[in-house]
Amino acid sequence: MPYSLTLTHLYPDHLNLYGDTGNLIVLRRRCQWRGIDCTITPLTMGDRPKPGQTDLYFMGGGQDNDQVAVVEDFHQLKADTIKADTEAGVVFLGVCGGYQLMGNTFLMGNGQETPGLGIINVNTKAPGTEVKQRCIGNLVAEIPDAMYQDIQSLYADPQTANSQTTDARTTDSRTGAPHTIPKTLVGFENHSGQTFLGEGVEPLAKTIAGFGNNAAADYEGARYKNVFGSYMHGSLLPKNPHFADYLIGLALRRKYQDPTLTLPPLSDTEELEAHAYAVARYGPTRD
Amino acid sequence: MNQLLLIPIVAFAKVLTVVLRLSGRGSGTALPGYLVGKYFPFALGVLVQQIPTVVAITGTNGKTTTQTMLDAMVSQGDGIKILRNKAGANLSQGILSELLKQSNALGRLDFTHAILEVEEATLPRIAALLKPQVIAVTNLYRDQLDAYGEIDRTEKLIRDGIAQCPQAQVVVNGDDPRTSRLTQGLPNPTYFVSLAEEYARFLPYEGKLHHREPGTPGLEATDIRINEDLTTDFAIHGTVADQTIEIAQARTASPGFFHVYNALTALTMATLMGLPPDLAIQGLQTFQPAFGRGEILSRQVGDKTVHYRLLLVKNPASFSLSLELLRHIPALKLILAINDNTADGKDVSWLWDSELERLNQAHLDWVLCSGIRAKDMRVRLKYALDQPPATIPTVESIQDAIDQSFAHALPGDTVFVMPTYTAMLEFRKLMGKTLDIV
Repeated sequence: MPYSLTLTHLYPDHLNLYGDTGNLIVLRRRCQWRGIDCTITPLTMGDRPKPGQTDLYFMGGGQDNDQVAVVEDFHQLKADTIKADTEAGVVFLGVCGGYQLMGNTFLMGNGQETPGLGIINVNTKAPGTEVKQRCIGNLVAEIPDAMYQDIQSLYADPQTANSQTTDARTTDSRTGAPHTIPKTLVGFENHSGQTFLGEGVEPLAKTIAGFGNNAAADYEGARYKNVFGSYMHGSLLPKNPHFADYLIGLALRRKYQDPTLTLPPLSDTEELEAHAYAVARYGPTRD
Repeated sequence: MNQLLLIPIVAFAKVLTVVLRLSGRGSGTALPGYLVGKYFPFALGVLVQQIPTVVAITGTNGKTTTQTMLDAMVSQGDGIKILRNKAGANLSQGILSELLKQSNALGRLDFTHAILEVEEATLPRIAALLKPQVIAVTNLYRDQLDAYGEIDRTEKLIRDGIAQCPQAQVVVNGDDPRTSRLTQGLPNPTYFVSLAEEYARFLPYEGKLHHREPGTPGLEATDIRINEDLTTDFAIHGTVADQTIEIAQARTASPGFFHVYNALTALTMATLMGLPPDLAIQGLQTFQPAFGRGEILSRQVGDKTVHYRLLLVKNPASFSLSLELLRHIPALKLILAINDNTADGKDVSWLWDSELERLNQAHLDWVLCSGIRAKDMRVRLKYALDQPPATIPTVESIQDAIDQSFAHALPGDTVFVMPTYTAMLEFRKLMGKTLDIV
């Protein structure tokens, strides 16, 4: 049966720093290449959505003025719907400002802590005396084993690893060559806010290079149900095609109520080479 | 008194320059300016005040081209001696180094005009010392975001710079919502340069296009035509310093809408500096594109010559607009060379804000990705193209990219090269060009 997905881009006019739009370009193309009908709906100032109308939300980061402008609109017109949707398992991806805003507090550029939407239990604070500069640079982090196994289960023909030491593979749809599914995520971070996870929220990945959530901890991003937050720009999804597929897979499985639904493999040579290059160049030296 | 104090300072700087050169530690352009600026901050002002006419050009894109165009225009006048800083040397130490280098042993500068390119955040730090008669702001686009964080901040810095110079006449991009509001509430006489709305509305400004009121002082370009050889024709109308200017056809040797703004900005500045507009337009015809900005380099081996046209890309706006130009090129051969060195910006997120999708309307013959981030570039291209080629070659080394493209090209072909800043410098060097310009 032909599948379809509705993606909602929150505040595309206001929260669009750092190539965040690249995430939507990637989701749309990867759906298109698989014959999944994909509609992207912008949701901007003044729009009042209803629950149950979208399969995946995306929210990027913005400049301070814009973040202040949207937060009030978000509280008044959108928070209830998004809270209801995400509690029901709708997929949400927030990057940087879009991640911070979902939490209990977020940080303005002048260091002022401001109430966020409280949809996920994270707090973003100003850097203390121990952190004097922004967290800025290339970021490499490793996803948890459970999520890695979930990702393997998405593909129609994963040559599943027998043990955790062997990388799982899938097949290039164009050349038939095996692709290794990375256990890592790569991106570029640039934030002064220090984010701390509260109860019920898991980190998205363990930091190998760079800072991630805050300069003290070794973890990057957050997950609560199907809500994902990350500091990775770059954009996040182009060089992490396995994570892009994970979001698509979660959205499809939820929409079609089929936990065994799988995705046909794509030819990801270019994406995975860029990913491997980033790990080799910006990750720690391998022994 | 200050003038006398200059003598030992200038002597020190000149000796240091020679020592640095002899010891092989660079061309000696940055350190003397840095040290003098740090310990004798008044030197910049004392040096520059000897030059009767000083003008400054700032903004995110087009500073170098506008400076080069204005230089070509002003050179048409009699008895003119122009001092200008080189592209890239647009921080305060770079400007100071140039003044020190050009002065004689007594600290005297024998120039009639200084045409200075000033980096955006540097303007408020040196505006009061420079006291420019004219300040031009080409535009305010988001640049590499890790440089200053936010464009709002850059806008404020430039406004602070202008506020220190109440005597300066200001020329701004009249379509850019950010630059067109820079002098609101300030006493500076302001001139707006703009394109007819049918062109301006396609440009990637942030926010709503500024609407130009009829009768606003400044210049407007109409009837813009980009030619196949990438020259641009346009007509000019407007008023500058109570003079009516009507030019039926002007041509720039550089391609695209950005360069029309640059030409209008340079023409407005030249007119404010007292040059007759007709003479300035004559000067524009002698303008050669600044390095990397539409410049053509040729490589010849035996009987085979291949031309390389460089279109520097530094942010989404310049990338998207250059891609727009390439739609007009038959059988386009393209090298995209992306580095992530400090001068390029370490973050390559901006590739995703650049509208590579515009290549879907181009006649793409072949494309090659190069530079440190060649692989990132290739992913961006793969997702942009409706029908991506089966393989898009990536050649990290720029030397290899030149060799492969030369081997692949037919004699007489023009290959378009879109490099980031350090990739452009490297490309020019490999093609036998020194880093010094005009």
